[in-house]
Amino acid sequence: MDRARVVLITLIVALSVSSSLRAHHSFAAEFDANQPVTLKGTVVKMDWVNPHTWIHLDVKNPDGTVTRWMIEGGTPNTLVRRGFNKRSLEAGTEVTIEGYRAKNGANRANGADMILPGGKRLFMGSSGTGAPKEGPEK
Amino acid sequence: MRSRVLGLVAITLTLGLTGIVGTAQTQTQTAAVRSTTAAKSKVPRTPWGDPDLQGTWDYRTITPLERNRELGTREFYTEEEEKTLEGRAGRRMDGPPEEIRPGLTHAQYATDPGRFIADGNRTSLIVDPPDGRIPALTAEGKARQSRAPNRNNAVNASWLDRGNQERCITYGLPSASLPTLYNNNIQIVQAPGTAVIIHEMIHEARVVPLDGRPRLNENVRAWIGDSRGWWEGDTLVVETTNFNGKNSYRGSTTGLRLTERYTRVDEGRLELRLTVSDPTTWEKPWTVLLPMRPTEGELLEYACHEANLSMVNILEVARDAEKAAAEGKAPRNPGPVDDRQER
Repeated sequence: MDRARVVLITLIVALSVSSSLRAHHSFAAEFDANQPVTLKGTVVKMDWVNPHTWIHLDVKNPDGTVTRWMIEGGTPNTLVRRGFNKRSLEAGTEVTIEGYRAKNGANRANGADMILPGGKRLFMGSSGTGAPKEGPEK
Repeated sequence: MRSRVLGLVAITLTLGLTGIVGTAQTQTQTAAVRSTTAAKSKVPRTPWGDPDLQGTWDYRTITPLERNRELGTREFYTEEEEKTLEGRAGRRMDGPPEEIRPGLTHAQYATDPGRFIADGNRTSLIVDPPDGRIPALTAEGKARQSRAPNRNNAVNASWLDRGNQERCITYGLPSASLPTLYNNNIQIVQAPGTAVIIHEMIHEARVVPLDGRPRLNENVRAWIGDSRGWWEGDTLVVETTNFNGKNSYRGSTTGLRLTERYTRVDEGRLELRLTVSDPTTWEKPWTVLLPMRPTEGELLEYACHEANLSMVNILEVARDAEKAAAEGKAPRNPGPVDDRQER
């Protein structure tokens, strides 16, 4: 591997880390990186509140019972800017959310990725979302 | 556009800039002189002749604040590096996660860090010193840092153990002016003799007098300091002092001084050159060059304390950990608290 490539990989890692460092709330005080969860359920409602939105999700357990989870999401103004609004995730929608569970085992999670019915990933692809054009022209 | 203009007017009014009216006449006179000299400039002008910096400005970029040490004093990425880094950032914004990994603290779909390297392929936002990094701490700065409480060991007995950002008190300066995971926008509103800089991150508004009035007494201290401004040619210079020191940026103290220089290079670009100094903290001042682009839409309120459930949850996690420890089920400390707020 030539030096240029080593530098490039280092830069990629460095940029990944730097972007993850700039969060408003501490992840580790609240969620457990060792408890990844995949939650498949029905949206009950979404709280459009600052500083972070919360999705309430009814998840059916193997024994037939239902557990209500709360999934932390982004800030409302960022979601709106990315083309997501109150109509984007209506009650009754079946979604799959991958994330990390609360450190104390509560039924809360930090959402990392959301998959809508039909496999469409939310916000994946800025075209077609109605989102304003992002960033400078290159 | 019309609604945007109305929005700006409304914001100006709601911010209660009543003091402006009294100074308007004097400003108009000085503006008349200024507008004749500025007639040849391509920079848009306000009706009273100042350079028009108004609007909502987007400063997202994937260029890091500090340059990767591997790059030394190299200021610019190669085209290949640019392509790779921007490609990856774009995929992160548009596509499925390449990885689900610890530390990705907010839903990927909900973050908005941008996808482009700062103009000119810059390897760091810091342009001075030449290594693109925040200068070394002074001996006093180091000593102070070594005495600072380590929040990694916090037991989170109360919200007071958490930082100002998590508590939604303030993002502080210069943090609120530097790119982060989301809310990378400012709005500038001008009136004769006054400029208002609104930071999206925890919606702070700085009302900056431009009329030469004296600074606040040095005993009057504020979380985001006291800002005073003036024009140097077409550049708006804003100098901020009088910080209360309760929102330290990487060890900064009440001696923090920020000098912002906003220049509208053309219709589509505002440049912020921000110099940060605190002689008891850093060996020398450092300067950031941050390009901004106009963005459509209103700057929405980020009412951070509205439902700060994260704080409730953090404390609940800590209490549950204590309870488990008392029952002999788990260690007392809830585990490594990866608190990286102060950046």
